[in-house]
Amino acid sequence: MANNKSDFTTLYNEYSVLVYNVALNYLQNIEDAEEITQDVFIQLHTSLHKFQEKSSLKTWIYRITINKCLDFIKHKNSQKRFFIFGKKSQNEFEILNISNFEHPGILLENKEKAAILFGIINELKESQKTAFLLSKVDGLSNPEIAAIMDLSISSVESLVFRAKTILKDKIANKFEEYRKKK
Amino acid sequence: MEANNWINEVLESTNGISKATPNQELFSKIQNKINVQNTVSNQWIWIAAASFAVLVSLNIKFIISNSNKTEVPTETIISSVSNNNQLY
Repeated sequence: MANNKSDFTTLYNEYSVLVYNVALNYLQNIEDAEEITQDVFIQLHTSLHKFQEKSSLKTWIYRITINKCLDFIKHKNSQKRFFIFGKKSQNEFEILNISNFEHPGILLENKEKAAILFGIINELKESQKTAFLLSKVDGLSNPEIAAIMDLSISSVESLVFRAKTILKDKIANKFEEYRKKK
Repeated sequence: MEANNWINEVLESTNGISKATPNQELFSKIQNKINVQNTVSNQWIWIAAASFAVLVSLNIKFIISNSNKTEVPTETIISSVSNNNQLY
């Protein structure tokens, strides 16, 4: 029992920053990222014995985190749809506030531009968003992303390329706004 | 040209990003949740076991009470009706 506890503490110390940052990049909200981090480690605690070592532990943790984030976004979007007809909730502020997110790890001089980028990243398709975030923000290599997403390396390359092209177009549309502000 | 530069600057704005660290109290929150989950799951196991026991005992009682009932002599009634064939 004590051994299990110390194993879990080691696991948390080793992977909490990874899980938290993936969730933060994905959800762009500190409270939500903390909630996902909690959920991921609770799941790890209950199902670590089921880990079959078909992939590395790190890859498995990445997958769990990304899936939790996707479920969380789907749940929030369904709430958002419900609020069109129903009562507005306190969470609505968080949903609408996503595009104003400022990542705590971004360099000060890049904060404004990164906020624009994070806002537009949310408009990408799920797979493009995952590939782009893992590649550009987490700095993973294409083979690592391929293992996490269970895709071929060429598929990952094309997802990242497509995501960059779409982002460039969308950022270009924001340029006029930026110019007027200037 | 200016637009292209700006687009690239926005795209590259995550360069040099440093990892954010979660709240230090997060680990104790997780441990608390795990402890609560364990307690709740034990409670549910006992509730499920008790419900099962009640269900089994009700079934046994029902079977026993059914087997003790005196059988209605349906055959004699049918034969009397068919012999008569008279309803009124």
